Amino acid sequence: MTIDLNDEILQDFLVEAGEILEQLNQQLVELEQQPDDYDLLNAVFRGFHTIKGGAGFLNIAALVEICHRAEDVFNLLRQGKRQVDARLMDIVLRVLDVLNEMFQRVQSGDEPAPADLELLDALQQLNEPVEQDSEGRDVVTAKVDPETDGSASATEGLVGIESNPIPQEDEEITEAEFEALLDELHGSGKFGGVPVPGTDENGSSSAAEAQGVVSQDEDSRQVAVSNRIPEQQVPSAGAVKGVAAKNESGKKRSSTAETTVRVDTARLDDIMNMVGELVLVRNRLATLKARLGDEEVANAVANLDVVTSDLQNSVMKTRMQPVKKVFGRFPRVVRDLARSLGKEIDLEMFGEDTDLDKNLVEALADPMVHLVRNAVDHGIEQSDQRERVGKSRRGKVILSAAQEGDHILLSIADDGKGMDADVLRRKAVEKGMMDEVLAARLTEKECYNLIFHPGFSTKTEVSDVSGRGVGMDVVKTRIAQMNGTVEIDSESGKGSKIIIKLPLTLAILPTLMVVLGEQPFALPLASVVEIFNLDLERSNVVDGQLTLMVRERALPLFYLRSWLVHPDRQRDIETTGHVVIVNAGGRQVGMVVDYLIGQEEVVIKPLGALLQGLDGMAGATITGDGNIALILDVPGLIRKYAHRH
Amino acid sequence: MNSRVRVLVVDDSAFFRRRISDFLNQDPGIEVIGTAADGLAAVKEAQRLKPDIITMDVEMPVMDGISAVKRIMLMAPTPIIMFSSLTREGARATLDALEAGAVDFLPKQFDGGSNGTDSVAQVLSRRVLLLGRKKGLCRNAQQPFLQHGRERASASRGEYKLVAIGASTGGPIAIQTLLSTLPGNFSLPILLVVHMPASFTPAYAERLNSQCRITVKEAADGDELHPGCAYLAPGGKQMILDRRGSNAVIRIKESATGQTYKPSVDISLGSAARIYPEGVLAVVLTGMGSDGRQAARLLKEGGSTVWSQDEASCIVYGMPQAVEKAGLSDRVLPLEEIGPMLVRFG
Repeated sequence: MTIDLNDEILQDFLVEAGEILEQLNQQLVELEQQPDDYDLLNAVFRGFHTIKGGAGFLNIAALVEICHRAEDVFNLLRQGKRQVDARLMDIVLRVLDVLNEMFQRVQSGDEPAPADLELLDALQQLNEPVEQDSEGRDVVTAKVDPETDGSASATEGLVGIESNPIPQEDEEITEAEFEALLDELHGSGKFGGVPVPGTDENGSSSAAEAQGVVSQDEDSRQVAVSNRIPEQQVPSAGAVKGVAAKNESGKKRSSTAETTVRVDTARLDDIMNMVGELVLVRNRLATLKARLGDEEVANAVANLDVVTSDLQNSVMKTRMQPVKKVFGRFPRVVRDLARSLGKEIDLEMFGEDTDLDKNLVEALADPMVHLVRNAVDHGIEQSDQRERVGKSRRGKVILSAAQEGDHILLSIADDGKGMDADVLRRKAVEKGMMDEVLAARLTEKECYNLIFHPGFSTKTEVSDVSGRGVGMDVVKTRIAQMNGTVEIDSESGKGSKIIIKLPLTLAILPTLMVVLGEQPFALPLASVVEIFNLDLERSNVVDGQLTLMVRERALPLFYLRSWLVHPDRQRDIETTGHVVIVNAGGRQVGMVVDYLIGQEEVVIKPLGALLQGLDGMAGATITGDGNIALILDVPGLIRKYAHRH
Repeated sequence: MNSRVRVLVVDDSAFFRRRISDFLNQDPGIEVIGTAADGLAAVKEAQRLKPDIITMDVEMPVMDGISAVKRIMLMAPTPIIMFSSLTREGARATLDALEAGAVDFLPKQFDGGSNGTDSVAQVLSRRVLLLGRKKGLCRNAQQPFLQHGRERASASRGEYKLVAIGASTGGPIAIQTLLSTLPGNFSLPILLVVHMPASFTPAYAERLNSQCRITVKEAADGDELHPGCAYLAPGGKQMILDRRGSNAVIRIKESATGQTYKPSVDISLGSAARIYPEGVLAVVLTGMGSDGRQAARLLKEGGSTVWSQDEASCIVYGMPQAVEKAGLSDRVLPLEEIGPMLVRFG
């Protein structure tokens, strides 16, 4: 059977089940910490219960089956008939993984395959209360007679429906028929197994399954066994069609209570793109306005400006999702990893409700997972070791998110062993990344940020957890692709903190427009630290590198023009211009530009095929005066040009 | 129709809130006027919106469905239909909810309904219409059932061998009320037939047994009839009587093709009429439909006695009305008088 992804009911289910699965992820990890928390047990129970209900509605048999068993287990747990232990948690977490897989299959329109029998059996075993109480015994009465014909037991599910329906012009039998019926009952009495008209192949297929279940756990005379049968009214394409058809007619009268509409994200992307274009037109008009000098035009343009900004904000908001969507998976990640490494780790999360563009939330997931795994694997020490240096046995990893202006700050902090700048310096020299003199000159912070260089890994043996030496630079590249920056700070013995700074949205980028030669370029505003006039008096050439003293610090100074506009006249040093101090991976660098135009919000357009993948270029945009400007990728630029002096 | 039945839908799952609302709104006579995602919200909404009827889930955060029923019955009495799962646990919860004041229950199992039987959705709409229109369903303690039974014919004298009681909607609580008035040494065996799914009857029998002085058990095939003991027909099957020597024994049969009710009041009571043509004292209690009328006719023809519950004390005056209208009821009694009358005649 295929699943119709256009079915609104299915989409409804997917949204709710998706949320529940995320919550379960977190709740189950919490449960391990507080195994007796009644509310938590109840919440988990309800989670499985609700997914089961929805899946039952949609006839997704595999989901119903596994949720049902899990629900039974948690029912015992919340009644105190069983305790949470490590084995149970392992099984339940596996169930959650399987559920997630099934969920993804449904999402891609496939009917999920039934769960592993071995896992179902394991769940079934958990389904037996540890102390058999009086209820354990009388349950047997509820047990379905194993000899009962399958189709008969399957009809039981319908009993509830039929139990007392309102008579509908009663298909009433005549007196004679009734008496014949009684005669029949009193006579031979062979009625077993004749399916009721309410059952067709639909019923018998589930009957076969129900039967299988009964025989499969014959020795477990449990509530679960008898209970499952009536509820297992499961699969059939026909039934799904029925639901879909009903939905059609249901649409005619939409519910008055409904206040939300589901919109395809592709449509939101389109709207966002169009708003982007609108922003460009506005920018263009704003430039023309200055040229025309007409007051009325100026007013109209000012209005347009305000409306466009509001529209842009509103559209952006529709695409926002809480960071929780990414954070939600970390309790589980940390728990599993800590368990496999034998470490004791607490995870704290702050600002989970911070909103972020949907695309960013998705793009963030992988890099964040990598960083968190790193913190657990490399950052936090073994408990014994922690104790020896006078820390608490349990390590701590703190995730936080916050909005700061038009940016989002994410941080991953651990209270582990931190990093040793000297070790990193040595490593950099060993790897041939720089000579000792240069290494010695690196500030501590620069040393820490060395880990983002390709091929730099401090762990001597490669573990399967993290670190084949590719991780961190990939993380950095990914974040750079989102127009974000990442840097790390650390203190030996105290822990490390990684800070990711991201724009609120991917589609529109605030930039600083500059001119080199005749050409405009856009510098992402996020990387700009400060701007001042070029004063060559304050510059020196140190070791062949032009540097500039800024508040007692020597920053390397580069002529962007020589990189980007006249590559053949590299040594042609200008004496006028402006210096833009940019932050490139925790390192500040001065860049000399000819003119500054100002701040402008631009819409990023991908580069054409010819320029694709060019280091140092993040894309292109159309400026307010109708020109095309390249958007610079500052870290990429520095990587490409800065070492060639 | 200018007065649509106004419904409050309570469910913690947004998915089901929408589905149930959609189902109900499809019926032009029904309007969903609000939803609530937990029991506490349900209590507030019940007071604020004053719906005609509420559909209520059991498992919910903050406050579960049963506690919500109790509160609502206290603060804003409203007919409530419980959604229950067809499990033993679900049976217990449902019976708790009925005891707390809910009028009816439905399995929360919406499968296609494409195969001739009514889908839960259709049944739900019809019950909402019926129960939501009926006034005065929710009695609190200050409004006891008044009215006196009117006698249609003098009760057949004769020696009764057996009491047989049939009920449907509203039946679980009615039977509980009735049986709890009987003394432990009640002199006749009692057959009980209530329309209930298979997973509910064991828990229901257990509950009755713990609350009544007489013994109540779920009937099993081969049970002999003992005085002072009530036998509850198991859900999903048919219970009939059979003769063994001079005694009667219970037989539990699979339900036959075309049988709407499992268990069926007609079948069990009709069967009793076959075994003890003159010796049955039958009582038809609250419930939708007309199950029991065929049996009543057979009982009357054989010389047995049939009583029916009166309209005022019924949740749904369907089955007793069918019997009464066909002129088959010897006495029409308010619920609280039936127990004492049984003691007097039994």
